[in-house]
Amino acid sequence: MKRDRFYKRLFEIIPGLLTWSTLITLCVLAFVKPVWTAIFVITFDLYWVIRISYLTTLLVVAHRRLEKEKKIDWLKKCESLGHIDGLEYGNVYHAVIFPAYKEGLDILTASVMALEHANYPKDKIIVVLSVEERAGPEACENAQILRQKYGDTFFQFIVTRHPDNIPGEARVKGANATWGARVLKDFLDSKYVDYEHVVISCFDADTCVEKDYFGCLAYHYITNPSRTQSSYQPIPVYNNNVWHARSVARILELSSSFMQMIETMRLEKFVTFSSHSMSFRTLVDVDYWPVDMISDDSVIYWKCFLYFNGGYTVIPMYITVSMDVATGKTILETIAKQYKQKRRWAWGVENFAYLMLGYMKDNKIPLRKKIRRAFHILERHYTWAVWAIIITFIAPLPLIFGGGLFRQTAIGYNLPSVSAVLFNVSLFTIFTCIFISMKLLPPRPKDVKPEKRLVMIAQWFVSPLVAALLGSTPAVDAQTRLMLGKYMHFYVTEKTRKKAK
Amino acid sequence: MPRSDRILRFIAFYLSVLIFFITLPILLSYSLGYKIDYRNFKIYKTGIIYLSSHPSGASVYVNGRLYKDFTPAQIEELKPGSYKIEVKREGFYPWEGELAVRPNMVTKADRIELFPVTREMKRLSDREISDFAVSDRGYVYYFTKSGLFRTGMDKSPPRKISSFSNWPDRITGKKFSPDSGKLLYFNENAVTLVNLNPDKFMAKVGEGASVEEIFKSPDPIMDVFWYPGLNYIVVVTEKDIKAVELRGGATRNIASLYKFAAKPQSLFYDENSDSLYFTDIKIEPGLMNRERYLYRLDLRQTFLDSLRELLLKKETVTENEKR
Repeated sequence: MKRDRFYKRLFEIIPGLLTWSTLITLCVLAFVKPVWTAIFVITFDLYWVIRISYLTTLLVVAHRRLEKEKKIDWLKKCESLGHIDGLEYGNVYHAVIFPAYKEGLDILTASVMALEHANYPKDKIIVVLSVEERAGPEACENAQILRQKYGDTFFQFIVTRHPDNIPGEARVKGANATWGARVLKDFLDSKYVDYEHVVISCFDADTCVEKDYFGCLAYHYITNPSRTQSSYQPIPVYNNNVWHARSVARILELSSSFMQMIETMRLEKFVTFSSHSMSFRTLVDVDYWPVDMISDDSVIYWKCFLYFNGGYTVIPMYITVSMDVATGKTILETIAKQYKQKRRWAWGVENFAYLMLGYMKDNKIPLRKKIRRAFHILERHYTWAVWAIIITFIAPLPLIFGGGLFRQTAIGYNLPSVSAVLFNVSLFTIFTCIFISMKLLPPRPKDVKPEKRLVMIAQWFVSPLVAALLGSTPAVDAQTRLMLGKYMHFYVTEKTRKKAK
Repeated sequence: MPRSDRILRFIAFYLSVLIFFITLPILLSYSLGYKIDYRNFKIYKTGIIYLSSHPSGASVYVNGRLYKDFTPAQIEELKPGSYKIEVKREGFYPWEGELAVRPNMVTKADRIELFPVTREMKRLSDREISDFAVSDRGYVYYFTKSGLFRTGMDKSPPRKISSFSNWPDRITGKKFSPDSGKLLYFNENAVTLVNLNPDKFMAKVGEGASVEEIFKSPDPIMDVFWYPGLNYIVVVTEKDIKAVELRGGATRNIASLYKFAAKPQSLFYDENSDSLYFTDIKIEPGLMNRERYLYRLDLRQTFLDSLRELLLKKETVTENEKR
């Protein structure tokens, strides 16, 4: 037990230690050896330009695929499948869990309405609305209103209240989702439904699906030979309130959508994120989502990965689910909300310790695979925490603190111009982002002026500033807290939507 | 993932790696000042010369050979050593110098001033002048036998601002007031004030300036300074330092602030602290007799005290007269 605790702390410290060592070493070198720092900065700038060019290429390919698969009639494809390994279109159930906290009735209604508008047979859809008891009576009343309204629409509309302070649980979304899933299990048992016939989707309360979502999911589930050893990941977009959100928030949310699209092209690194789906059989086998970790969406993947001895994958679905942009009434409130949300996402670095501890108990996963996957997590969070700080704050340090002698050297003289050239080269990616973001935009609401489209384009030119401000700092914050053992509480991003006039 | 996407990703990835490893040594060697000699497979250290000139756009010659860029120019990949650099532009005197190039370093010749061969010259006065003064406000005043004229630096025609023509033969010094609204000129015997912002009456009769002799001295005047507030001047003669009030006409207040023991050798007036620095000999306990020392007179205090004393004395005299 003591040994486990020691290793847990060790693996929690490693990411933060790496990040801080890099940043401190570079700052010190900028004073002591400015030439070395300048060489590093140029190398890193070049690496970054090539990396984002490569990722932009993947983004273009992923977007092309998204556009292509939009046209597919998934239900028709499902119908034509027939019987595959005990499953067919007619006997696949979809269970959707909405772990809810204090989200308003407008938010929840929109999400349930999206399920209602889905073209999948409603008698094969089960909705579980799991409300936190600590959210108060209003949250439960809202849930009951929805059950009254939509109770007969679906196969079953379950409303359950997740009690507070269950021993062993933390106040995290995963605990609520697990509670809902256990209630669902009881219901399925009562109806003698085979767990393997149920695909469970764990959605944020504001998640609105496209009408083809369940058809697409059913198709991928039925046709997948290892259907229980896979999660199914749609592309999250933040379209619900995108026209009314602030530019800073839009840029950040669009960037995370783009990142998810890029990840669909790198399957060896692909991990579940936010709203995702999986076999209920698997969920029960792995004992549900973690009830004491913040990053439940990605930890569930690692849980399955360890359970299946590394034989677990994420199947990308080129279909979108739409959520809310975390925005505020003022720019500062928006920045604060975005910062907290990104810090929560960056808390996913806790997965590294989880995986490493899992590895210690496992002797079936090949060592090469173990190293590769652990490296992916570490590299992802490390890069996230350092890139914007290196490019924005460390790059000019040799010039500021290097002294007159450094400025007389060729590299001191060339550093600003070389960095500027590389920065300008990277600007072409902004044009790609503009193009794809405009393609992803939902129809303009009537209360939004047509000129807003220009803002949607112009906003991208402040993206370097937004990246400098919010690109790395939340990740450094999360890693530092984890390193120091100051564990975060689950921050529920407040969802407020402007009512359409 | 479709095969075509996989192939595309494969190509994009390895192309990126290839570009990185090809570009990095080129970029770093360029940044560090190295040059790769691909023919002989050699890398050697180079230096840079940076030149900028005023005006820019001048041709640059390196060891007699014309360089491709005009100033500001960055001459790269120079082997260490000494280079003869010439900066030339038509209509300007050329600049040339010997610049040393050190390995991996930048030699800067910043803001080389190129002087024009022929400068623009314009005659400002249309008659013979006795003297002239240039104000900070961009005006040139010149004194002639037919009056005082003013002209701008923007080639505006000269304007006669006063018909005063009795200029002394020799003017020792001229001082504009800090607001450039008044001009003092003086010679050994007298100080004259030219009011360049005359009152309404003078302006009505067509005079743009008024000239008035304000102080005559029996002792040779050495220098004159403006006292802050523009209502007083400080006159330094070979014998003493006086404060002279500009207002008052015939009943002008004059206060003697200090009497020199010997004619001062040099003077300096510090406008920031309103202090007058001068040399004098003075017999004080502990000082060597008849040797010069540096003194500082704080005019702010002394002047006000003296003036107060003077006014009190005046009032006493007036009261006595009344009795």
